[in-house]
Amino acid sequence: MTEGLEQGGSVVVIDDDYAMRLSCDQTLAKVGYRVATFEDGARGLEAVGELKPGLVVVDLKMPGLSGLDVIARLHEIDPSIIIVVITGYATISTAIDAMKAGAYDFLPKPFAPDELRLIVGRGFERRRLQRLSQQCEIDRELQRRRFVTFVSHQLKTPLVAVHQYLDVLRQLGDAPEAEAKRREWLDRCLIRTDELRRLIDDWLTLAQLEGGSLGRRRVPVDLREVIPPIVETYEAVATRDGITVAADLPTEPCIVRGDPTCLGVLIDNLVANAIKYNRPGGRVCVRAEQHPGEIVVEVVDTGIGISEAALPLLFDEFFRVAQPGGRRVEGTGLGLPICRRIASEHGGVIDVESTEGVGSRFVVRLPAARTDGVPAQEQPA
Amino acid sequence: MTAGDRILIIDDDQDFVQALDALLGQRGYQVLHARDGHEGVLRAQREHPDLILVDVMMGERTEGFFVVQELRRVPALTGVPIFVVSAVYDAAPEFDVPPHDAWLAHDAFYRKPIDTHALLTGIRSALAKRHEAAPRKERS
Repeated sequence: MTEGLEQGGSVVVIDDDYAMRLSCDQTLAKVGYRVATFEDGARGLEAVGELKPGLVVVDLKMPGLSGLDVIARLHEIDPSIIIVVITGYATISTAIDAMKAGAYDFLPKPFAPDELRLIVGRGFERRRLQRLSQQCEIDRELQRRRFVTFVSHQLKTPLVAVHQYLDVLRQLGDAPEAEAKRREWLDRCLIRTDELRRLIDDWLTLAQLEGGSLGRRRVPVDLREVIPPIVETYEAVATRDGITVAADLPTEPCIVRGDPTCLGVLIDNLVANAIKYNRPGGRVCVRAEQHPGEIVVEVVDTGIGISEAALPLLFDEFFRVAQPGGRRVEGTGLGLPICRRIASEHGGVIDVESTEGVGSRFVVRLPAARTDGVPAQEQPA
Repeated sequence: MTAGDRILIIDDDQDFVQALDALLGQRGYQVLHARDGHEGVLRAQREHPDLILVDVMMGERTEGFFVVQELRRVPALTGVPIFVVSAVYDAAPEFDVPPHDAWLAHDAFYRKPIDTHALLTGIRSALAKRHEAAPRKERS
């Protein structure tokens, strides 16, 4: 009942029976609804246009416009209006027709005041929920459109750069200053097309993870075997930047059930980030440990760290951490969303702690695999 | 065209700016550059360019349109042509806030990648009009 009252609770009653109008009016007004009553459909509909009630109570059997006609017209005026029909027992099949035509509920005569109040209160609650769900739908659509715009922008940006370079190169023709530019710009074109390729690859990976066509394999994977090759891959590039990368792995197995390729991608992305957002002399350490019931992988770096403001957005698609001095770090902005997705697909979570200027620590917790039918936590460590 | 007209490009994509810089430079324009809206407004206030080119989506989704608003409020920049460029937005995109009179206050809009012929024509005519209306003062 209170829902109706909160919204002003305006009710229109259309019934040719004077006693019924009076009783509805008193019953509903008593609990705070604003009620207007009309003796026939035509007048009732006219008033609905002006009063804009949230709910209409209408008798099905009236001279002139029938209840069913009134329902049809009401929905033309306001599709969100809640309609309750009043009917005699003899016309119960008509009541069903009315429900099919869009009435919310019906009330057979005779009814007690409480029954009317209950049904009207429920009707208003229904209206409130309908509006809420419409608003959610609108918000979701807006969100979706923003996202589409954003993805288009990310994809088009490298394409625009390449196009503009080639276009201007063509116009510069054989001018002497064009030669130096030509070499430099062609290099840039390659870098930007590569950026676009990686963006599309990552985007595809994310879509495939979401669509379930990737990462559904479930085999026992010992993470101690996944980590070393990744560390090895990055050693050369890290050394070049004066950064050391090391793995710290236990003697006991760290087995999870999962997709070996995807788990590799997860760790690979974290290690790549730890090197990218680091500085000369920095360190990156990849650890795996067996905890009760779970395997914990940590990628810890002594890099530049992440600001407190950026932390909550870190796993959002296309979020890039702004670099001091506008330094540009290559990346698609999809690496961490992919990590989060892979972790959750494996029933795990990924988290981050970071102090700006000190470093970051990414922690992935994955359920430990049950081997030999014995739950992992019961196995000896 | 007045020789050495200065064009400020506010855009976060260095490659796009490089290409336009070369194109405009070859036509005798001098290009200034700012990487985001904040820097752009500061540079425009300080250096009074003859024309400004603003990208829409930089750090923030519709940053460019807000930059135009800010630039229009700078008295020293009154009458300076402002062109908006974007790879995804249209000239008059739908906004979450209702557009008011001064909202879309740019003089021209170009879709990226830019049709350079159309851009050069647009720049020439906007600057001609500008110089007619306010003959250029000698800069120190």
